[in-house]
Order: sequence, then C-alpha cells, then structure tokens
Amino acid sequence: MKSTLRNMVVVLCGITVITALLVAVVNNMTKDAIEQSKINAKNAAKFKVVGVDDSQAYVSRDTTRTIGDFNITVSTVVSKADDSIVGYAVEAPSILKSGYSDRIYLMVGFVEREGVTSVCDIEVLSQKETPGLGANMEREDNSLIRSIVGRDMSTVVFNVTKKDKDATFDALTGSTISSMAYVNAVETAYAGYLWATGQLNMDEEAIEAAPSGASVAHDDSYNEEPEAQKGDVDNE
Amino acid sequence: MSKLQIISKGILKENPTFALVLGMCPTLGVTSSAINGMGMGVATMVVLIMSNISISLIKSLVPDKVRIPAFIVVIASFVTIIEMLMQAYVPSLYASLGVFIPLIVVNCVILGRAEAFASKNNVIDSALDGIGIGLGFTLALTAVGAVREVLGMGSIFGFTFADGVMPLLFILAPGGFIVLGYLMVLFNKIAKR
Amino acid sequence: MSSFNILIGENISAEVLEGFATGNITMPVVTLFAIVIGAIFVNNVVLSQFLGICPFLGVSSKVETSLGMGMAVTFVMALSSVVTWCLQTYVLNPFGIGYMQTIAFILVIAALVQMVEIVLKKVSPALYQALGIFLPLITTNCAVLGVAIITIQKEFDLLTGVIYSVSTALGFALALVLFAGIRERLDVEDVPQGMRGVPIALITAGLLAMAFMGFANLL
Repeated sequence: MKSTLRNMVVVLCGITVITALLVAVVNNMTKDAIEQSKINAKNAAKFKVVGVDDSQAYVSRDTTRTIGDFNITVSTVVSKADDSIVGYAVEAPSILKSGYSDRIYLMVGFVEREGVTSVCDIEVLSQKETPGLGANMEREDNSLIRSIVGRDMSTVVFNVTKKDKDATFDALTGSTISSMAYVNAVETAYAGYLWATGQLNMDEEAIEAAPSGASVAHDDSYNEEPEAQKGDVDNE
Repeated sequence: MSKLQIISKGILKENPTFALVLGMCPTLGVTSSAINGMGMGVATMVVLIMSNISISLIKSLVPDKVRIPAFIVVIASFVTIIEMLMQAYVPSLYASLGVFIPLIVVNCVILGRAEAFASKNNVIDSALDGIGIGLGFTLALTAVGAVREVLGMGSIFGFTFADGVMPLLFILAPGGFIVLGYLMVLFNKIAKR
Repeated sequence: MSSFNILIGENISAEVLEGFATGNITMPVVTLFAIVIGAIFVNNVVLSQFLGICPFLGVSSKVETSLGMGMAVTFVMALSSVVTWCLQTYVLNPFGIGYMQTIAFILVIAALVQMVEIVLKKVSPALYQALGIFLPLITTNCAVLGVAIITIQKEFDLLTGVIYSVSTALGFALALVLFAGIRERLDVEDVPQGMRGVPIALITAGLLAMAFMGFANLL
C-alpha cells in the first residue's frame, strides 16, 4: 500500500488505539482472576511453610507492619481443634536489597520447638531472576533452603558464605546477588516474626550495636548487578 | 511451495537460530538449561503463530513506511494479552513459561518473520511458517541449553550426573557465546550434506 | 527462655531494625561512579546481559561503522531514557496503566527514532550522513527497550537514569568497537572453512566476554 502522510497517521493511530483498547479490556477481564490466583497461592503457601497440609483444620491471624512501601505480614497459624499455635508464616520482601531485576518476596515459616525458633519451610512468592541461575531459588531443594531449614534462628548469620566465611547461607551457583536478596528477605521475615511476638529489641542501643547490612554490599559475582547494593549506609 | 515444505524449511534450511541468526538475545539469555530453552522455544512458537496470522490479516491495510512500528505494536500487545490470559486462567503454565514472555517482545525472530513472510503470504501459509520457524527455534534452543547444562552443571533436563565438578563458565555469558558458535559449525556441516 | 532474650534478634542488621522501629528504611546510597563503571564494564549490556546482540553481530565488521553505530545508540538511548522516564512517571503511574509499559515504550522509541532521523536530516546533514543509516536499525535493538525498562525497575531519578542509560550505551559502543577491531584482524587470518562468518564471531565474542569477567571485582 502506498504511503501518504494521512493514511500513515490514520493507520498507526488506529492500530494503536485498537490494540490499547484490547489490552485494556483483557486487563479488566483478567485482573480479578490474577489477584485471586495470587491470593490463593499466598494462602496455600501460608499453611505449607509451617508444615500443615489440611488448611481446613487451621486458621491464621494476620498482623501487618508497613515499612516504607513494603508490607510485612505475619500470619499466626493456629489449630482449630485446641487453639494451639502451630507456627508463624511471614510474608516479607527483601527490603534492603533488590535481586538481579526486582525485589524477592518470600513466605517464610517459623516454628518454635523447646524455646528454639527455626525455619520450617520457605516459598518464593514472587521473583524475576534469571532463568537457570537466580530463578533456581524456586526449586524445592536448593542450597539456600538446605542451609537454613532447622537452624536455630538466633545463631544465624544473615549473609552468604561467598562474602563471609561465618555466614549461614550457601549461595545459589553463579547467583550471589539473587541469593543475597533472598537472605535479606529471610532476615526481614525473621525480624517480622520477632516484632509480631514482641521479642524485637528496637531501641537505639540495639540498632547501634547491630551489624550493618551495608557490610555485605560489595559484590563480586560476575553476571549480576552491583549498583543497587553499592555504597555505604547512612546510619544517622 | 507445498505446505509441508513451509514447515520443514523452518527446521533446517531457514532455522532461525543457526541459519538466519535471528533472536540471539533470548537464545543466549535463557539457554542455561535444556528445559529453559524448551520453555522459551514453546512460548515463542505460540506468539509467532498468532502474530504471523494477525500480521497477514492486516498486511494490506498498513502503508509501507509505518509497517515496522505497526507490526511492533501488534506483537507487543499480543504478548501482553497472552501473558495476562495465561496468568489468570492457567497459573501453573504461567509459573513455568511466564518468565520468558516479556523477553519475547524484544525477540527479532517475531518481527523478522512478520516482515519477511507474513506480510507477503496468506493466512494459512503464515500460520504454517510460524509453526515451522517455532519448531526450529525450539529445537535449536533446547540443543544449546542441553549442551550448556551438560558442560556447565553436569546435568541434563534437571537430572544430575556429575554434581559440582563441571566448569560453571558454560552457564555464564561466555559459555553461551562459545557453545552457540560451535553448534553453528556443527549445524552448517550437517545442513550442507 | 528469659535468659536467651538478650541474644534474640542481635543478628538482625541495623537497617532492618531501624525499619521496624521507624517504619522507614534508609536505602543504601548508590554512587554515580559505581553506576557508570558497573554499566560500562561489570555488567556490559552485550557481553553479560545479552541485550543488543543482533546489531553487535551485524554491524561489527569494520571499526568505522561500529563507531557510528555506537554513537547513534548512545544518542537514542539518552533521549529515549528521558522520554520513557517522563512517560512512566507522569502518564503510566498516575493513571495506573503500568501494564501498558512495553507497548508504550516500544511505540515511543520507534517514533523517537523516526523523529531523530527527520530532524537530523534537516538540521545537520553531516551528522545525518554519519549516523543516518544506523537509525532504522536501532528501532529493533532490544537493548534500547531493555535499558528503558531496567531504568524504571531500578527506581532511578531522571538524572541518574540518563547517566545509567548513557553508560550502558557507552558499554555497548565499547564492546562493539573492540569486537570490530578483532574481526578486522580475523578477516586476514586463515579461519577454517566451516567456522567463517558468524560462528567464529560468536566464539570471539565468548572470549571477549570472558575477558570482561575480569572486571567483576572492580567494584
């Protein structure tokens, strides 16, 4: 077809308007279903991470702490039969660190046994890491989960072994940045659990004495983004 | 050209990866394992068939000078719509293929076929071309992914046979380039026969 | 467990504690230096992020043309990052139509490239001579769209976003020119029959990518 200014503008605008309308219609159509499937996934994860299958026999009581743009939701999973606490499922993003391309959202299940708190299981709620590298955090049995499940949480060092030899977490192969974001999400979840159960010491002295998250800011992995973590944190 | 030839040429004579050298970015980016390569290939094939059909339907309406922008918009909307539909109604499929979908928008295979084939041929032939090229792309990506996975991870389709002793380099960027280069040599040799 | 109370939570970092205490987080400050060096060397757009490989393989046979392409990409990336950032901040976000991002960005980049072409032709014929033939190729350069989206994802402000885009484009140009230099030498070498053309170029690119891995510890 021959191009004239008029038909060029008309066709291009026409196509843009039609496709934009189509996208908008489909978006409206699917918005609720997508929300619903996300909520379903979240609810399923909530019970799974504290180790209970039959969600009918349990209920969860949720409290939420908002930090900046992020919400940390602590769900206390309670047995309907005898009102005993099974565990705490905490939904937390990696508030300090982004992964390779976005923040990592986790559902972390904490259980208390004889006064010791440990992680029961972890589900990845959302991540946009590289397929085959960072995205391996979604696998059932990855090095990050293996290194944390069952550990006494008060002794955990929130870093990856590549950066700090005392660290608890084994990074995913070739994906240090993704792993560090994951570790930060676990740390946030643990803080959320302590906060919800009234165990978190948040006065100034505690903050002063706490290790700085910026000490793990330096990156030496090859195929990852160091900018997001670079630099020192202003502690004032 | 017979219908069967349109399909088969996409696999060998006009293989998008090895012969046409199109869509290199996703080819190298996601082929760190065989299953990822396959996922990307299948997702691309679906988009390619649909975009070929729609381009060949609207081809006579679009003036030559705005062809590329018009096609890009159509393809981008397609990809977005497919992503939304998949996420809403087949979440399990979305969980495995979803990560590849945004990458398809910038895949020049799709635009390349729209330009070279769908804008000149009828709907049925264009759909068949989509199937053929899609199959060729899937096979190529699976092959690259399989080689990289075997050499870099010591596993194939997720089944590990040599854990932790293989050079990780093949999973990283340089390995992608090198494996693709040598596979291309091999392909040229086979195709020439 | 009262005796353990002192120990509990002392392994949590100060920033997270502060977050729970105040409801706000102090994000680590990113230095411009780190952004620039990171985008040019450490995370080179072609050699480690696999974006813009088609032009990388297509127009890298001569140093001269690859310089032209590099300049054209730098120019378009800088412009498009400004436009897409404004589009995202002032149109897509306020109206809550973030799902249109890809379509809007692609359209804007395509239109921008066409406009740059027309304006250059009128205003500076010399520059148009130098860059003109590369401009249509840029529309299909996935690096431009990729960088526009990454800039939004990283939540940069406008200035940082532009600096990031320009650095990324410079990284692209650097890889392209280096690669073209190597390929010029390859032309006069005796390359085995089956490897001539794209295969040897890919293997060379792999070796170049390996060399760039050496920058990984720079930051």
